[in-house]
Order: sequence, then C-alpha cells, then structure tokens
Amino acid sequence: MRGRWGSGGKRGRRSPTRLALPHLPLLPLLLAAGACGRGDDTLTVASKNFTESVLLGEIVAQQLERHGFHVDRRLNLGGTFICHEAMKAGQVDVYVEYTGTAHSAILGLPTVRDPARVRQEVDSIYRERWGLVWTAPLGFNNTFAMLVRREDARRLGISTLSGAVPHASDWRPGFGYEFMQREDGYRGLVDTYGFSFPMQPAVMDLGLTYRALAEGQVDIIAGNSTDGQIQALELVHLRDDKEYFPPYEAAPVVRSQVLTARPQVGAALAALGGTIDQETMRRLNRLVDVDRRDVKEVAREFLDGLGHRGRGEEEEMGEVGEGRVRR
Amino acid sequence: MAQAAIAFTGTRFAHDGRHILGPLDLMIPPGETLVLLGKSGSGKTTMLRLINALLIPTGGEVFVLGRSTRDWDPVRLRRSIGYVIQEVGLLPHLSVARNVGLVPALERWSADRIERRVAELLDLVGLPVRDFAARLPHKLSGGQRQRVGVARALAADPPILLCDEPFGAVDPVTRAELQREFRDLAKRLRKTVVFVTHDVREALVLGDRVALIEAGLVSFLGSPNDFRHSDDPAVAAFRTLL
Amino acid sequence: MSFFEFVLQNRGDVWFRTVEHLVLVGISTGAAIAIGVPLGIGISRSARLRAPVLGVANVFQTIPSLALFGFLIPVPFVGGIGARTAIVALVLYALLPIIRNTYAGIVGVDPAVREAARGMGMTDAELLRLVELPLAVPVMLAGIRVATVIGVGIATIAAAIGAGGLGVFIFQGVALVDHAVILAGAVPAALLALMLDGGLHLVERKLDWRAR
Repeated sequence: MRGRWGSGGKRGRRSPTRLALPHLPLLPLLLAAGACGRGDDTLTVASKNFTESVLLGEIVAQQLERHGFHVDRRLNLGGTFICHEAMKAGQVDVYVEYTGTAHSAILGLPTVRDPARVRQEVDSIYRERWGLVWTAPLGFNNTFAMLVRREDARRLGISTLSGAVPHASDWRPGFGYEFMQREDGYRGLVDTYGFSFPMQPAVMDLGLTYRALAEGQVDIIAGNSTDGQIQALELVHLRDDKEYFPPYEAAPVVRSQVLTARPQVGAALAALGGTIDQETMRRLNRLVDVDRRDVKEVAREFLDGLGHRGRGEEEEMGEVGEGRVRR
Repeated sequence: MAQAAIAFTGTRFAHDGRHILGPLDLMIPPGETLVLLGKSGSGKTTMLRLINALLIPTGGEVFVLGRSTRDWDPVRLRRSIGYVIQEVGLLPHLSVARNVGLVPALERWSADRIERRVAELLDLVGLPVRDFAARLPHKLSGGQRQRVGVARALAADPPILLCDEPFGAVDPVTRAELQREFRDLAKRLRKTVVFVTHDVREALVLGDRVALIEAGLVSFLGSPNDFRHSDDPAVAAFRTLL
Repeated sequence: MSFFEFVLQNRGDVWFRTVEHLVLVGISTGAAIAIGVPLGIGISRSARLRAPVLGVANVFQTIPSLALFGFLIPVPFVGGIGARTAIVALVLYALLPIIRNTYAGIVGVDPAVREAARGMGMTDAELLRLVELPLAVPVMLAGIRVATVIGVGIATIAAAIGAGGLGVFIFQGVALVDHAVILAGAVPAALLALMLDGGLHLVERKLDWRAR
C-alpha cells in the first residue's frame, strides 16, 4: 500500500499529496458543486497548495485573461489528488502539474529518467484515459536538488555530485523524511554515486534543512531545484551528472474539450512554453517566499517582461498568440 | 502609658487619600475586654488591623505593650497577638491539630511540646483531641470551627487577643454558648481582648467596656451598664436593636 | 498493510519511539515546571512582572513550531538540530499553562485565609510555603496536566528537527502517504496522552486537600 499517491508525492514542504489529506472529506462537496454559472468564455484555473504552484496558476490565469478569457481562480485548491480529481470531473479546466508526479504518483509507473519519454508517456495516457492534454513544458525541472553552501563549493571547487563524492566523508547530511523514504531518494543516490557519509543523515523537516545547512549544522541537503531559498541563502545546486533524479517538468494540463471548443486557449498556453527556466522559477519563488511580494504582481511583471521579449520572437515563430492580444 | 496593653494616641488612618479613621485616643488596660461596636464600614476592623500592624497609622501612633507598632517587627508583634477573624481563617488543608499548633510551630517549639499544647487547648475549647485532632476544617460544624479558631489564637499564649466578629456565622444557640465560654476563658486566662461586633447583645455580654464606633470615631465609651442608660442618641438608636 | 500489521511488524521500533517520546515530554515538562512555578510565584508577588511574563509566555504559544525551530537552529547552547532544540521548544510551549495556573492558584487563595495567616505572624516565605503553595497545588497540578498532555501532542513535531519520538512515524507516513505509518505514530501518542492525563488526574486527586 506504499501508496498509489504515495511514492510520487513531490518533496516535503511542497509535496502535492501532503496537504491533500485534510481536504479529502471536502472532495465530494467540491465535485458536487457542479459547473453551474460558468459562462462560455470563463475558464477555471486551479493550483496546488504551495508557492510555486500558486505562482504558476496565477501566471496561467493572467495569460488567459490577456487572451480575452474570464478566469475563475481556484488557486491553493489542494494537493495533487484534489487537483487531478477536479480536472477529471470537469470542475477545473487548467492546472500546472509536474511530469514526474503524474508519472509516478498518479499513474504509478516505474521510474523513467528520460524527460522526453516521461512527457510522452503521461501525455498519451492522460489523453486516452481522461481526455486531458499536457501542453508545452514551461521550461524548468523541479526535481530534488543536492545543495551545499556556496563557500564550500567554491573552496573545494565542486559543481557536480560526482565531484562531491570524495569530500562527503567529512559531511554531515540532513534530509527530509520524504527524501529518506522515496525510491528516487537517499538510498538510490548513495548507490548511484557511491557516497559514504560519516554518519546517518539528520532526518528533519525539509524547510528546516535549508536553515540547518545555512547555519552550518549540516553540510549537504536535498532541496527543491526551483526553491527561492537557494539564492537567498547562497547555496549551490550540485549538478546531477549521472542523471539519477527523474524529471519533474512543469507543464499546464488542460481538458481537451476546452482546447477543441476554444483553440486560442491552446495558443495562449503554448506561448508560455519554455519561458520559465530554472533560474527564472527560483527568482519568482524567491520574490514571493523570501521578499514577500504579492503573487499577482509577480505574475504580472513576469508576463509583462515576456511580452517585450515575446514580440520579437513572435515574428519568427509566427504562431504564438501572445503579441496579438496585447495590442 | 506603661500600664496600657494597647493605646491609640491621636491615631489616624487614611487610604488612597480618603480619611477612614480617627483621630482616636483610647487606652485599653491589661486584662480588659473592650468591645468595638458599630455598623459595617464604621472602622472597627481597621482598628484591629492597626493593632497587629497589618496597617500602619497615617497619623499618630498605636502602642502595643508599650511600644509603637512602627517600632515593632510586625512578625514578632503578630505572634504576641492571638487573632480570630470572620470565617475563622483556618487553613483548609491542615488538620485541626496542625491549625492549632501553627504559631508554636512557627516559633519552632518541639513536636512534643506542640502536641501537649494542642491537646490542652482543644480540651480548653471543649473539643476532645481524639475526635478532632486529625480532622480537616471543612469536616467541622460552624461552631466547632470557631472553637478551633479560638484555640489557635491562644496557642502561643499571647497576652492579647483580637477578635473580628468570630461568632458571626453560627446559629444563635451555639453563639450564646460560645460567647459565654469565651468570656469565662478570657477572664480566666487574663487576656486583653479587643472584640469587634455589630451585635449589641454580644457587646453587652462580652465587654468590660463598650466603644461605639461611628464614621471612624469613638462616639461612646463606657461599661455595659453605662451603655444601657446613656442619653446619647446614637447609643439609644443602637439600643433599640436589643 | 494495515495499521495493526504495521505496528506488529515494527513493534520494537514503535516501542523505542514511544519511550523516546516519553523522555522528550518528561524532560521538557520537568524543565517547564522548574522554570514556570517560580515565575508563577514571582508574578503573584509583583504586579509589574505579570504582564510581561504572561505576555512573553503567550507569544511563545503562538509561534508555529517549525518557525520556532528555525529561530533556534543558529542559537548557541540551546539550539542546533536534534533533541536539545526540540526540548527547548517544548519547554517554551509548556510554560504558559504552568505559569498561569501557579499564579491563578496562589491568587485564588481565600483572602480570609491569607489574612489569618498574616495576622498569625507568618513571614512572606512562611505564607507562601505553608499556605499559598499547598492551597494552590490542585490548580497548579491541573496546569501541569494540561502542559503534559499538550506536550505529548506537540512532541510529535520534534521529529521535524531530527529529535525522534513518535512524530517520526507521522512524518514518514505523510511523506509516503501511508495511513498505517501515520497511525503508528498518532495512535500511541493519543494513548500516551490519555494515560498521562488519567495518571496525573489521580495524582491531582490524591494531593487535593479537599478530597481528604
């Protein structure tokens, strides 16, 4: 029973499944609430209940609004399970999901490390089973990130996990519970790279591992690759040079019915494809998590910036809707 | 002054700038039972609290055994004064024996001596040791509690007893019995007693002298007999309560 | 795997974590008593101290545990990661009910009793030792009982800072979304809370002079 929803739960603090539990009793209510009152040009956008998902939900919502749609926001809706069920029931039209989460948590498939294959597998099963479509990936991969202090990385001259292995015998590791328990977590990492830490990892809350690392209480942690804290706390993400961690590419999932009825939705979402790389996502997360900026504002500024850049690219690509609507 | 057990000399007391008592001049010779009679709020209890230094006068002095309360160590002073108050103030978590033996224990008497003293006192107030020593106060009747209160006040054999309506909360029959016994006891032990009450009958039964207190002043002072025959309108008013 | 199967298969582990949990609660409650009772006495003596002491104890209650751990990590001596930090946090959470009930117990002593005791010539220390504290004991114990029961609950978050206890199962279970594992932490913790509550209630009744 190591759950269908379980092994793929994405990392502690922003685990999609974690906060879903308390919401379970609400689910029938939610689903029963029905599609009442939704006009033809209104789209419902949901997100999961952690900063990054809320931010991406807001970006998608504003992008659709810029394309002339009314948007009903259901941000912070719940965990993976809630969002997915709401999509299946037609209560939500779009939300941003991670390929790896869908692959392992929702579909329960064995770990695959090739991003394109994961994307292709989830998309085809989603279409066939539920009439849901994965649109273009946003451009970043939110996977486990092995993090060390920048000063350590600089002093030791390391940038990859393989490069870190010889130094690990002096390091105290600190990991979240999920990383310790998951198939694609601690054990596999040690096996793949041959790490030998001098002691058992300190197992603690994921959010606290960041503080513990920054304060020198531990020397290496497994964070989230797009976390705003990475920049804020001056940490370095050691590259997974053996491609051990499976891909968790973020992409909007949309109901195919919506795409058929309103093709501009597809165009609007496609225009977001590849626009948010890892650095950008970290920066946006940081603006909200660390600098306490308003999500709406951050999303608006991001799309504004995109508009200027996108207009130039649009000339060449020809098919992106972004520029047209903004005029 | 030397022969007075207690003396108020030009004593005043004010609290938060509000005048409450005095000026008072009053001498209480050793062995006398003086009853302070008055309505509630007249200042009688304040007088008691000035005697055992729970309050210090804001003007004038109160002399106890020849020394001003300002000069007494309050703890020493209070241990020379037996104190019986409304609702008795027995310590509810201690047995009758420990309540009675409390001041001797504070004075670090030996356990033997305390035990003997407690037995003696309980006998004196008519409570058999065997039946009562181990009981907690709330397992006693109102009258029994008052007896324990008196026994406790007498424990360290203080020369002075202060009583603040000690028999206020018991039934009339028990009350009359307690008053009679108390009077005999006080005389036999030659205690100087200051006894506060608002009950005229009680005042006349117990007092060698009665002081009528009104608005913080002594408006009448004399023997029970004088009280019965006084022309003073205030006294006459009180007398109608007889 | 069902809850019962899981507990049966991991009974050694469950037992170990339960003991660990009890130790966390025991040490932290003990320390909170050692700090909280004197503070409660202090504020019953000084009105000036009352507002700040209760205010600070109140503030501790409102700090989310993870945030508190975050603050404590860099603090020398009391902070870092592991049991010490967890115990410090648990002590801070347990202080309020203990301080408040000590204070309430003392202040709630019948004024006539206090007056009689003073009138008998008790010093401040004697009044406290012989009268106020013994009479306040039932109320103080009620505060300690509340603190202990709350402590059993809060101690589950000790696992967030690597301090062990039954919270380990809860955190693991949440990470795995496995109800059996979550329950393996939650059920023993609940039983522990009930047992301590009952036990302390008995002690309370034993020590209450009113019941004699």
